[in-house]
Amino acid sequence: MAISMCSWRVTSSIAAARKSDLRGPSGTARFWCLRAAETYVFHFRGARLIRLENVTKIYNSEVTALRDATFDVAKGEFVFLVGASGSGKSTLLRMMNRQESPEKGAVWVAGRNINEMPDSKVPHLRRNIGNIFQDYKLLLNKTVHENVAFALEVIGRPKHVIRQQVPAVLDLVGLNGKEDRFPHQLSGGEQQRVSIARAFVNRPLILLADEPTGNLDPATGEGIMRLLDRINKTGTTVVMATHDQRIVNMMRKRVIQMDRGIIVRDQARGVYE
Amino acid sequence: MLSRLAYTFRETGASLRRNITLTVAAILTSAVSLFLVGGTFLVQRGFDNLLSKWAGGVQMIVYVSPTATPDQIANIKSALESSPTVVDVGKLEYLNFEQSLAEAKRLLAADPTTFRLLNEANLPTEFKVVPKAGQLNVLVQLANGFAEVPKVQKVVLARDQVEQISKLRDFVQTVTVGLSVLLLVGALILIWTTIRTAMFARRREIEVMKLVGATNWFIRIPFMLEGLIQGLIGALMSCGFLLFFNRLWTNGVVKLKGDNGFIALVVSDSFLNLVMLLVVLFGMAAGAIASGVAASRFLDV
Repeated sequence: MAISMCSWRVTSSIAAARKSDLRGPSGTARFWCLRAAETYVFHFRGARLIRLENVTKIYNSEVTALRDATFDVAKGEFVFLVGASGSGKSTLLRMMNRQESPEKGAVWVAGRNINEMPDSKVPHLRRNIGNIFQDYKLLLNKTVHENVAFALEVIGRPKHVIRQQVPAVLDLVGLNGKEDRFPHQLSGGEQQRVSIARAFVNRPLILLADEPTGNLDPATGEGIMRLLDRINKTGTTVVMATHDQRIVNMMRKRVIQMDRGIIVRDQARGVYE
Repeated sequence: MLSRLAYTFRETGASLRRNITLTVAAILTSAVSLFLVGGTFLVQRGFDNLLSKWAGGVQMIVYVSPTATPDQIANIKSALESSPTVVDVGKLEYLNFEQSLAEAKRLLAADPTTFRLLNEANLPTEFKVVPKAGQLNVLVQLANGFAEVPKVQKVVLARDQVEQISKLRDFVQTVTVGLSVLLLVGALILIWTTIRTAMFARRREIEVMKLVGATNWFIRIPFMLEGLIQGLIGALMSCGFLLFFNRLWTNGVVKLKGDNGFIALVVSDSFLNLVMLLVVLFGMAAGAIASGVAASRFLDV
């Protein structure tokens, strides 16, 4: 009972976040009187969804992957993390859903310091964060439909919800009629669309994409970017790590540039350079 | 809830099939080790039965003829009490017909036919004699004298039976306990390895599950169920072995008929059932816990 109460609190704070944003800064979500929700409202007057504060990550006490990284991401923003391989882009993304924890500093998501969150609440945090990878990470023994349904199944969504949401999201990513194919029967671009569908099917607040176009030819990559842009326009915040210069220059979104673990540039409507 | 259950069973079944060789190895090892655990209990109980009439330091039993009158019984009692320096009078115990019958029931668990033939006219009652400290040798010398008292049927000394049996019991116990512990550790290591292999085979699935926000328990439970099933099948097999060997043993012991008392080495069916139940519960719990721990070990959040 206690656990389910807690999980409800986390989700409700995020639900509150959505409501307050819809109503604008004046319509605060005081209705959600739980503390988590209040914390959210406090932090989200400025619609700040992710905040990194002096985050430092050191691997094996010698390799510094991140040094003193500080930035905010507003709700609904589209952010590119750019930089050479090993500059700390992926580590930054992994900080945001607590796959990694910083040695110093704090990561705030939806108004909560996720490093201080007990392990038992991490799954509920992750239900609000979709992940996309360069290598898609699809389950090869499952069909397109099963791959997407799996994401709902393992968080205990009832069958009728799955039956309703999976076709809708497959439609959104343009995979109509390919529900019963297996990943090896799809092109790279289609596989990435499946992975986007899986990440988005639960309507997360945040989408973290780690080099999603890295394995795709330019035209296919552009298609994926158009899809991510559409998803972003529905209000989902997108943080994408890439070193695809062409795509960054084409999109003209906010660019955070990393160099050996340090943020060297943070520019609105930026280019790759 | 139903879809979750369906998911759990589907995953467990798939995983058991995928790792068939390791699964079979884990099941066989746990079957043999649990058989030895159960066997230890049975052997232990057999010896305890055999030695039970000597429990509490009893060194001499004076069997009284069933035809003895209360006066004659009192007479025997006073004969025993007449040597208070040798016999510990405080611990002198008389088993009347009912008590002797209860004792016989336990000793004759394997031979209900003989037990049914017992009645007040043929079952001797008995005095259990505990010597005073250091007086055992004197008691042994007095034993023949007690045999002369009217209506004493027989005088039996522990020294003749007990020492050898105790030594045998200690030996058998050490061997079976040692072997069963070793094999149990082996079975647990195998279950552990099976689960680790299963998790490795499904590492991508587990990674995806964690990223989309499945709880650790949700991920862990199919593996625990897998361990539980391995433990359960192993335990059921060991119950088969226990039944088979117990029957073999019982038949062998019953054939040794005679006045040697070895019939008491056979345990009752109710005790066998209890041991089998314990073995099954223990097998299931050990399998589930070992795989749960293994799963947690490889489930870094």
